[in-house]
Amino acid sequence: MSGPGRSARLVELVGSTRLGEVFRRKVRQRRWGVTLVTLCVAAIGLWLFSDISGSTGWSPVKVLELVVFSVLFTTLAFGFTQAFVGFLVLAEGHEPLKITNTLDENTPLASTAVVMPIFNEDVATVFGNIRTLYRSLQKRGELETFEFYILSDSTQPEKLVEEELAWADLCRQTNGFGRIHYRRRKVPVNRKSGNIADFCRRWGHRHRYMVVLDADSIMTGESVASLVRLMEVNPRAGIIQTMPKLVGSETVFGRIQQFASRLYSPLFAAGLNYWQQGAGNYWGHNAILRMSPFLTSCTLPVLPGREPLGGRILSHDFVEAALMRDAGWEVWFAYDLEGSYEGLPPNLTEYIKRDRRWAQGNLQHVWFLLADRVQPISRLHLIQGILAYSSAPILVLFVCLAGIQAALDHFRGHASSIPLPSAIVLALLTLLLLFGPKLLSVLHLFAQPDLLRRFGGAKRAIAGVAMETFFSVLTAPLLVWFHTRFVLRNLSGQKVVWNTQTRGGGSGPRWIETLREYWPVPVAGVICGILAWWISPMYLLWITPLLLGLWLAIPIAQISGRSAVLRRLFQTPEEIEPPRELSKAEPFQLRTGDQFVHAILDPFYNAIHVALQRRRAVRAPELNEHPEDLANKLFEGGPTALTAEEKRALLSDGPTLAKLHILVWRTPAEKMNPFWAEALRAYRNEPPVTVQT
Amino acid sequence: MAISPEYLGLLRASINSSPEWKQAWERTNDYLDALRIPADLERELLLLSSFERAIARKRKEPSTPATELAFDEAQKALDATLADLISEKVPADRRSVEERVRVYLMQPTQSSVLSPGNRLSNDVLAALREVRLEAVPRLQQAAITPRPFALNSAGERLASLAGKFSLLGSNRILAWIVGLCLVGLLIYISL
Repeated sequence: MSGPGRSARLVELVGSTRLGEVFRRKVRQRRWGVTLVTLCVAAIGLWLFSDISGSTGWSPVKVLELVVFSVLFTTLAFGFTQAFVGFLVLAEGHEPLKITNTLDENTPLASTAVVMPIFNEDVATVFGNIRTLYRSLQKRGELETFEFYILSDSTQPEKLVEEELAWADLCRQTNGFGRIHYRRRKVPVNRKSGNIADFCRRWGHRHRYMVVLDADSIMTGESVASLVRLMEVNPRAGIIQTMPKLVGSETVFGRIQQFASRLYSPLFAAGLNYWQQGAGNYWGHNAILRMSPFLTSCTLPVLPGREPLGGRILSHDFVEAALMRDAGWEVWFAYDLEGSYEGLPPNLTEYIKRDRRWAQGNLQHVWFLLADRVQPISRLHLIQGILAYSSAPILVLFVCLAGIQAALDHFRGHASSIPLPSAIVLALLTLLLLFGPKLLSVLHLFAQPDLLRRFGGAKRAIAGVAMETFFSVLTAPLLVWFHTRFVLRNLSGQKVVWNTQTRGGGSGPRWIETLREYWPVPVAGVICGILAWWISPMYLLWITPLLLGLWLAIPIAQISGRSAVLRRLFQTPEEIEPPRELSKAEPFQLRTGDQFVHAILDPFYNAIHVALQRRRAVRAPELNEHPEDLANKLFEGGPTALTAEEKRALLSDGPTLAKLHILVWRTPAEKMNPFWAEALRAYRNEPPVTVQT
Repeated sequence: MAISPEYLGLLRASINSSPEWKQAWERTNDYLDALRIPADLERELLLLSSFERAIARKRKEPSTPATELAFDEAQKALDATLADLISEKVPADRRSVEERVRVYLMQPTQSSVLSPGNRLSNDVLAALREVRLEAVPRLQQAAITPRPFALNSAGERLASLAGKFSLLGSNRILAWIVGLCLVGLLIYISL
C-alpha cells in the first residue's frame, strides 16, 4: 500500500482493537531496533576503548575511565542512532506512524485557551505575538472557540503599567475585549508552573484544551487550529508538542543556532518520533494540553528536601509529561506540523544564563528516576534531560582520569605501546557519531533542491555548516565549563535566581562584562595546557580541541553577541522567505519612556490602570506609609523618591492614583517638583492615535 | 453656543497677555492633547468657555492659581460633554476615570466626543454606558491537588544514603579535601 493510502487506512482504523495491537507491536519493534543499534555502536566503542586501555594492563583509574566512557559513548551513540533513523524516515518520504496523519481539516474546533505566562518580558514582543496569532485565526474564520490569556508574574512597576495598556490597546485594535484576557498575580508563587496552575484553578473548567506559549512563541492560526483538531480526533492524546523553529535572531550566535536547529533538528525530530510515538515529551510551550487530565493528574508534587535539588519543581514540563503518561494519556510529538516558531537568547552569555536555570530544573528530575509510577520511556526522557547538563562534569571527570592515566603511562614509559589501529578506528567512530548527523542533514538538504535554495543555495549552505561546526567546536568546551560549574553548585546547595530571560536581538555584551564573566575560563585553560604539556606534548595535542575553546572564551563570547556580521551566511528558509505571520509580526507601538510616570500623567494609562484596580489595595505590612503619603512623597520628590516596592504599593491603589493624576495636571509649574513640569511638556501636540485594523 | 468672534478674540488676547493665564492655557491644551482630542473648533470653544468661567472665578478666589481654576473648569466642561457616555450610577470621584476610558475606547473616532453634530447612535451610547473594563473572565474555579510524591524502595535507600553525605554538599572545603583524598587514593592504588 502506498504512503497516503496507508495513513488513510490508519485513520480509518482508529479505535479498533486490532489497530491497537498492530500499533503496539510496531512501536515495540521500533524501540527494540533503536536500542539494539545504540547498544551495538556503544559496544564497538567500548571494545575499542578497552583494547586501547587494556594494552598496558588494567588499573582502578582505567576501570573508572571505562565506566565513564561507557556513559558518554552510549549517550553519543543514542543521539547518532536517533538522527540516522530520522534520516531514513525522511528519506523514505512517508512515516505511517505520526500523529499528523490523523489530521482532518473538517473536524470541528473546541473551546481552547491560548495561555502565555510572562515575567518582566518585552511587552511589545509579547502582545505583538499574541496579535499575530489572533489575526491569523481571525483571517481563517476560526476565532470563535479561542480565548487568549496573558498571565503576568511581572514585578517591575513599569512593566505592570505597560502590560495593562498593551492589553487594552490589543483589545481595542482587534476588538478583542472579552476574548483577550490579562491577569497579573501579585505574588508569583512557584514561578511559571505556579502561574499556569493558578490559571487552571481559576479558569480551567472554561476550556477543553490549553495551548501554552512562551513570551517569544509565535504560532500561526493554522497550526493552533490543527493542534485542536488533532486533539479532537485522538481522544487518548493528553499533550501534543510541536517542533518550534527558531526565528528572529540578529546576532552571530542567534543566527548560528537558528541555522543549525533548522538544518539538523528535522532528523532528530523524525528519529525521536520514530521510537517514542505516544510516549513523548513536553517542552513547556508551543504545545496543546487536554485540560481535564491536566487538572486531575498533572499537578506538580513538592519534592523531598529543599532547593536547589528538592522543594518546588523548577522545570515542570518533563514532569508534567511523565505525570500525564502515568495517568494513562498519550503524549505526542507533531514534529512536522508547520507554523510553530520561537525566539532564542541573543548571545552566549544569555544562553548560558538560561542553561543555569534549566540545569537546576533538570537535576531535580533525579527524584523522579527514583519515584513510583513513572513509565520507563518517561524515565528515559528524564535521564536525557539530566544528562544534557550532568554529562559535562562526567566529561570533565573523563578528561581528568585520562590525564592521570596519561601521566602514569608517560612516567612508566607505556605511552608508545598503545595499539594504534584501535585508537584510529575509535577516533574515526567518535567523529562519525559527533558529526554524522550533520553530514546526514546536509545529504537530506541536497535531496530537496527547493529547500536548498531557501537555505541560500549549495555554497552558502556548505559554508554555513562548516562555520557552524567550527563555532560549535569552540563553544562546546565553554558550555562544558559552565555546565560543570552549574551542576557542582547545585550539588553544593546553591540555587539559581529567577531572572527575566533576555530575548531577541538586544545589544551585544560589553567587553567589561564579558571579562568579568569569563576571565577564569582562559586562565583554567592555560593551567590545563601547562599540565598537559608537563605530562606529555602528545597529550596536549590530544586535548587541544578542548582547550582551544577555553583559551578563546572571551573573544568568542564577544563575537557571539555581534549583529551585522556574517549576514550572508546561516540563512534559513524563514529568513529568506518569511511566512506571512512572521513578516507581519511587527512590534507593538507603545509610549516610550518611564512607564511608571505614564501611569501618573498619561490620561489613558492612568484611567486603564485605575479602572482595572477593583478594590482598594490592602496596605503592604512591610510598608510604613499609606498610599496617600506615598503619593505626596512622589509628587514632592519625583519618581526617584520612591522605591520599587513603594511604587508597586502605590500602583495597587487606584483612587489615590486617579487623584494624583488630576493633582499633577492642575498644579502650576512653579508649585511642583520640576520633574513633573518637564514631564508634562512631553504631552504637547500628542499625535492622533493610529489604530491598525 | 452663541459667542461672537470678536468676544472670543478679545478673550484669547487677554489670556495671552497674562503669563499666569498663558501657562494655564498651555497646560489645559496639553491635557486635551494627551487625550488626543483634535484641535478643532469644538475644542477651542470648550476651552474658551472654560476659561471664561475660570476668569470669573478668579475674581472671587484671587489666591487660587489660574492653572488650577482653568483645569477644573475644563474638566467640568468635559464632564458635561461626556455625561451621556457614563452611567448615572458611577460615583463622582470615579467619573473622570470612566470618561477617559470611554474616550480611549472610542478612538480613533474621538471627533464625535466633542461634536454635537456627530452624535453617536443610541445603541452605541447605551453600550458605552454599560462598559466595565474587565481584564479577566468570570471565575470558574477548579480544585487541583498535587499528587503525593512517593519514592520507590531503591529511591528510599538512595535518599537516606544521600542524607548521610549531605555534610559534603554543604561544606565546600570538606568536599574538596574528601575529593582530593579520593583522587590521591585512586592514583596510589593505580601505581
